[in-house]
Amino acid sequence: MLDSGRGSEGVNEQDNSPQSSKVAPVLLDGIAGSPGLAIGRALVIETRRPGVVHRRVAKHQAEDEVQRYRIAVESAASELQDVASRASGGAVESSILQAYVLMVQDQTLGQDVERRIQLDLVCAEWALDMAVEQMASQLALAPDPYLAERSHDVQFVGDRILAVLSGRKTRVSLPESDELWVIVAHDLSPAETASLSRDRVMALVTEVGTRTSHTAIVARALEIPAVVGTAGILQHVANNDLVVVDGLRGRVVLSPTGDLIDRAKLRAERYSALTRELRELRDRPATTRCGTHIHLRANIELPAEADVALAHGAEGIGLYRTEFLYVDRSEPPSEEEQYVTYRHVLEAVAPLPVTLRTFDIGGDKIVPSLHVPQGANPALGLRAVRLGLARPELFLTQLRALVRASAHGRLQIMIPMISSVAEFRATLRLLAQAVDEIDARNLSRAAFIPCGCMVEVPSAAIMANELALEAAFLSIGTNDLVQYSLAVDRSRPELVGLGSSFDPAVLRLIRRTVRAGERHHRPVLVCGAMASDPLTVLLLLGLGIRELSMEGSAIPELKEAISRISIWEAEQLADDALACSTAEEVERMVTESYAPYFADLLDGEPAFEAGLPRSSGRSLDPS
Amino acid sequence: MPLAKGNFLVRNRLGLHARAATKLVTLASRFPCEISVSRDGQVANAKSVMGVLLLCGAKGTQLLVEAEGDEAENAIREIGALIDAGFGEGE
Repeated sequence: MLDSGRGSEGVNEQDNSPQSSKVAPVLLDGIAGSPGLAIGRALVIETRRPGVVHRRVAKHQAEDEVQRYRIAVESAASELQDVASRASGGAVESSILQAYVLMVQDQTLGQDVERRIQLDLVCAEWALDMAVEQMASQLALAPDPYLAERSHDVQFVGDRILAVLSGRKTRVSLPESDELWVIVAHDLSPAETASLSRDRVMALVTEVGTRTSHTAIVARALEIPAVVGTAGILQHVANNDLVVVDGLRGRVVLSPTGDLIDRAKLRAERYSALTRELRELRDRPATTRCGTHIHLRANIELPAEADVALAHGAEGIGLYRTEFLYVDRSEPPSEEEQYVTYRHVLEAVAPLPVTLRTFDIGGDKIVPSLHVPQGANPALGLRAVRLGLARPELFLTQLRALVRASAHGRLQIMIPMISSVAEFRATLRLLAQAVDEIDARNLSRAAFIPCGCMVEVPSAAIMANELALEAAFLSIGTNDLVQYSLAVDRSRPELVGLGSSFDPAVLRLIRRTVRAGERHHRPVLVCGAMASDPLTVLLLLGLGIRELSMEGSAIPELKEAISRISIWEAEQLADDALACSTAEEVERMVTESYAPYFADLLDGEPAFEAGLPRSSGRSLDPS
Repeated sequence: MPLAKGNFLVRNRLGLHARAATKLVTLASRFPCEISVSRDGQVANAKSVMGVLLLCGAKGTQLLVEAEGDEAENAIREIGALIDAGFGEGE
């Protein structure tokens, strides 16, 4: 039971804080997975198998080993199935778990393992270990880094079966105490992260992973700091070690000196003071220095995000994306399923408004790809409303669900990728048909459902005046507007720097759209990256925008930024920007005159570990 | 025995990763026929996630899908549609 060495001779009785020991601090670089800063004691979770039993079996025992393996597979699959059905965290997470369920029961793996047991006469654990290693290493050689990372999936699946074979528990179990821990692990599976809770865990550190791995996603949802992809951490950390986790910069300091701890504490305090301050702004309306109210709404995708958005002080939802309902499945969602989902969001947000965007899926059949596959160009293809009009049954199903949901809150509908007045009219006709169908079924609905038009295609901005006559509101999607008006595919690395939202051409299209809205008394909203950066927001206010939609977490910061400026200044700046000839001129002018106003919001704080040389897992010399 | 086959191009950015492979396998498993997927001569059982994963089908990979048995043609058509649709994934 007891390990040798550590913990003997009453060492535990002494102050085991690193200041008193003579260990040099170690700074490890990782990837910032979730913002925040934590100082606490490490709890190392063994998520890798502790060592695999290597036992030879006699020929007559091989059949028993095969049976043992099959039983283990079944119980591993049912455990995973169980976790998958409990995971309420959204479609994506549970579909990963579904993939694991299939992988555990996979024929290729099973046949390989059984063949090894029978031919090599080894125990099930050993055979599985070899089979998994071979598959994982084959995958790791894939030239595509994303596919190469899938070798972790195979390892994970193998570990689940091994855990059953060896009778190990697979849930993370924390020691019985009230202390908060910094969880350190090689990697955390969706099942493991789902079993962590915020009142026991102050931060997460993993050896592998990226910003988009589930550890990072879960940490951001729990609002605790996380550093992922921290190579070498497990070689340097032991249970109970003091660690500093800097989720803002993606760094971990082990065995920090007293001085370092003080600086880290100071930085942690400043960070939490800043976030607290910004949180307190939550209930304060977003008002410029001169008293103009700006509506800040949130972009959401999953229904669960609605609560987070409101907690950050969003005045409703400005962009509710519905594509998630369509991805990861073979059949499109039914009217009933959509109705239940939309109703949930509308009720959660009421009495504030929810602006729902009808599906923006495209390419051949499903979900847009802005990347151009060989020979085709999905960004210019059958996408969003075009797909809806081409497949009216698909579109009508969503519209009927929306009409029904409108009875449960303040619903607005917006139509993506409109490129002509004719398209918008055709959409309104379908919406009218959906309303008739719902009325014919005697179901309740809102008396009036405002339907707006997205301005993302330059032709829509050029025809904004005519569109504003027929649309209840206009919503500018700046990411696509930049891409289409400058003909820049934002995903192409060689074009980085060409697609700037500071481009005067983009600013003029926005200006034109705002003017059209003013002329016909239609609200004009901006959603997209431009709406969440204080500097571009300043330009947007100057161009006449009074309604913005952005990631919920950016709202407190923007409220603060908006409170520091006046409309007069913003208009002056926008006029100067519109007179510029290039994106560079605009950006330089805006940055030079206003970045100092927002310095503390844009970044600010010096690093607490300043002066400590960086190292990739190497011990630093004590100075 | 009815035979059918088709060549398809992996279009989605992430390629044949775990979730895409899962979809392919789930779809393939609905058909009674034997189905294989191959890439440059490497053949995998289309009803095995690991086998499909091991093809390492990144974006731009050409896949040959072959089916033998009942409903072979339907199987090829539906699997082809799934691959062509980029497995229903964004970007």
